[in-house]
Amino acid sequence: MINNQSIIEEILGIAVSTGADFAEVYWELTRNGNITLLSGKIDAIADNTISGVGIRAFLGTRTVYGSTSDISREGLIKCARSVAEAMGEGRAEMNIVLKPTAVNDIHPVKINPISADNKIKCDLLRLATDAARAYDNRIVQSVGNLITVDHTIQIANTEGLFKTDRHVRTRMAVSAVASSGNENQNGSCSPGRGMGLEVFDLFPPEEIGRTAAAQAITNLEADYCPAGQMPVAIENGFGGVIFHEACGHSLEATSVAVGRSQMCGKLGQKIANEKVTAIDDGTIPNAWGSVNIDDEGNPTQRNVLIENGVLKSYMVDRLGSRRMGMPMTGNSRRQGYTYEPTSRMTNTFIDNGPDKNEDIIASIEYGLYAKSMGGGSVNPLTGAFNFAVNEGYIVRNGKICEAVRGASLIGTGSDILQDIDMVGQNLATGQGMCGSSSGSVPTDVGQPLIRVSKITVGGR
Amino acid sequence: MNYELLKSAIENEAKLQGLTEYEIYYMADEELSVDTLNNAQNSFSSGNGGGICFRVLYEGKMGYAASELMDEEEMKSLVSRAKANALATEKPDTVGIFAGSESYAELKNNGYSLKSAAELKKLAIDMANTLHQASDKVTGGTVTAGVTAGFTIRLSNSHGLDLETKCGINLLQAMAVINDNGKFENAYDMKELKDEEIDLAEMAKGIVDEAVLKANAVTVESGKYSVVLSAKQMRTILSVYSSAFSGKMAQMGMSLLAGKEGEQIAADIVNITDDPMREGVSIQTNFDAEGVAAFRKSIVEAGVLKTLLHNRETAAAAGVDSTGNGSKGSYASPVGISPYAFCLEAGEHTEDELFAMVGNGIYITELKGLHAGANAVTGDFSLESAGFKIVDGKKGEAIKSFTIAGNFFELIKSIAALSNKVEVAVTGGFTTFGAPAVLIHNVSVAGQ
Repeated sequence: MINNQSIIEEILGIAVSTGADFAEVYWELTRNGNITLLSGKIDAIADNTISGVGIRAFLGTRTVYGSTSDISREGLIKCARSVAEAMGEGRAEMNIVLKPTAVNDIHPVKINPISADNKIKCDLLRLATDAARAYDNRIVQSVGNLITVDHTIQIANTEGLFKTDRHVRTRMAVSAVASSGNENQNGSCSPGRGMGLEVFDLFPPEEIGRTAAAQAITNLEADYCPAGQMPVAIENGFGGVIFHEACGHSLEATSVAVGRSQMCGKLGQKIANEKVTAIDDGTIPNAWGSVNIDDEGNPTQRNVLIENGVLKSYMVDRLGSRRMGMPMTGNSRRQGYTYEPTSRMTNTFIDNGPDKNEDIIASIEYGLYAKSMGGGSVNPLTGAFNFAVNEGYIVRNGKICEAVRGASLIGTGSDILQDIDMVGQNLATGQGMCGSSSGSVPTDVGQPLIRVSKITVGGR
Repeated sequence: MNYELLKSAIENEAKLQGLTEYEIYYMADEELSVDTLNNAQNSFSSGNGGGICFRVLYEGKMGYAASELMDEEEMKSLVSRAKANALATEKPDTVGIFAGSESYAELKNNGYSLKSAAELKKLAIDMANTLHQASDKVTGGTVTAGVTAGFTIRLSNSHGLDLETKCGINLLQAMAVINDNGKFENAYDMKELKDEEIDLAEMAKGIVDEAVLKANAVTVESGKYSVVLSAKQMRTILSVYSSAFSGKMAQMGMSLLAGKEGEQIAADIVNITDDPMREGVSIQTNFDAEGVAAFRKSIVEAGVLKTLLHNRETAAAAGVDSTGNGSKGSYASPVGISPYAFCLEAGEHTEDELFAMVGNGIYITELKGLHAGANAVTGDFSLESAGFKIVDGKKGEAIKSFTIAGNFFELIKSIAALSNKVEVAVTGGFTTFGAPAVLIHNVSVAGQ
């Protein structure tokens, strides 16, 4: 933390000294830990301290960003001067008075995962990987990672904002490999929360290990997924990646503000089936994608993006706000000080709908039940998306039948939103790391079981 | 604090704590980029960073700790943390800290020459203007960027080894958004700035033509097709599956290439090499993340797997010498394994000859979602694709919104022909990948 307020005011003054109309200083101190358990032994323990400052200046919608890991006064002044020089050659002064404001922490942490004893963390990991190995004798390997983050930020800007916040998160990722001798299949499970080690009261490590192992065994016994267009039921939790990819990215100001989104100019229009209500909510206590304030210092909020099929809101950061003439929505995020922030999702999900889950499966004569999804990607301009199915089953005559593997789903966002024609009632979330221009940030995706009436399934 | 002071602070603390076998790994980076949006300069960003990692052999186990906080107190903390991490680690270390190779090759790249902000700005704006002049279909949202990045790595250890390498890269990136009668599409290209000048008009035409073709693309019927994968897409596939060639993944039971050294794993026209000093590649090094001399090696020769990639630990477990492929994803990472310039070498045909050999099939010029849709453990892939029909041996109409599916280990066995030109590019990190276009028969396609 830069304890001397006058130094921050000095830095901001330098950053706007050549005519910028706004400047911001972002300081970060992050302590990361990663323990790897492999072949039954703690394989490696690594920790890393990330420390640095990012300085950003605006002149209208033109931006200059500089970052440095040298946080001495001289280092900060050098960085601020480089930002000012890149902005222009004029001379200007701005009266900057920072107003320190306390941040209300709604994500309390009970057991700090960074300072906790290594042995406690290693034992938790071992519970998970041992359970994976014990699940079936065809599990030939289980790899566990315990990832812990203690992230403190301080943000100040020329409008007087001056806030400090801290965000702790803990995640366990277990991957299991099943082998038949000449073929390998894998499964994974990786829950996390904006919590300390108490997260494992919610997710017992043994369950994490068994879930990964079960998926690997299912895939080992599965045949390849058939290809073609068909109805698909997508299960809750990480299934919500479909909305994240097919629509969420297209609602970020990053794309919308520069005309590179399929959703440009569609506020107030019906863009989805009326059963679809979608929300981005960064305020859910201790959720994986929650933060008290975003990376520009604004409180996160609950934003209804789509209500009964009608587009209600975009996700807008400060630069997007200037470009679009819309208020900021608490969605500005970045991986760390080396990244300029931009509009990003937090915890994004399709809300519960009117349909009973059993009716959704019963409605499918022949199709795919995607029980567990992998990641994906999207082109926000066209809405063309893809994502992988980690665990899938053929649905025949309204019944879930044999497992299939190696499937992917592709389509376009605008089509898929209209084609989500049944929305169930078991909303749950899954955790991911979302990559974009401002780096990799933790995001929750979520939904209840849904049915997509038709989608192209990539298979064999 | 400069590196020598940091190193001295660590060495003093290590001595105080009675540590005798350790390594200091330091990385500094600098980056500069100038972006344009809609024909005008939009943003400028610069960054200077770096970090230091201390790893120590303590009670027969290796411990790591890393930091970007460059002060004396933090250096003392690094030593204590690494020692504590070694104590909690259970895997016995089998190789210790490396004393050094007999010799290190001379690098063939031109060193570390970064572009200035003014040069990057001119380049980005010239490219933006050229894109807008290329077609009146180019519209809002079009961006270009000039980017320069440089890295310095220092490796010092308790055996007195003290190595340094520097490398840098300059890039021009451009993405055009086009509006073709209400149909919006985009296309992207990136070129590395080297001694020869880039033909901006040619680059712009390529991007705009691709976007227009994609905007008007149709899809295809599902079925089995003969497919030509463009050099760029074959390179991308290789980048995903290169981890299957890692000795560590093999020893973890996570590679189907485990134990296959000496066996035919690919078609006999397949040759794969890894060369840390490949001609024309900017990111070069002559030592790996443990200080082992880096060198060129054949990975696959005439379809036979000659070796997996090893660091010292996996080599010891396999009873072979390290291939000098110890790597760190970042300065803070434990020593892993990765290739340098991992290339499927060229064959003898032109791309047009490959199309003629196909007759009727598909030419793939875009694959998406490989981070999720391609599994290096199983080899399976199912990927969103775009490209062109091949009709009567010639490139036909543009196609999109379909998938191709298969398995990498089957794919490399079924490569029927290779084009005569390897295209290389850095795809992230310090590894460069390269491949020619390849012809494969009987590929599963899901479309209409």
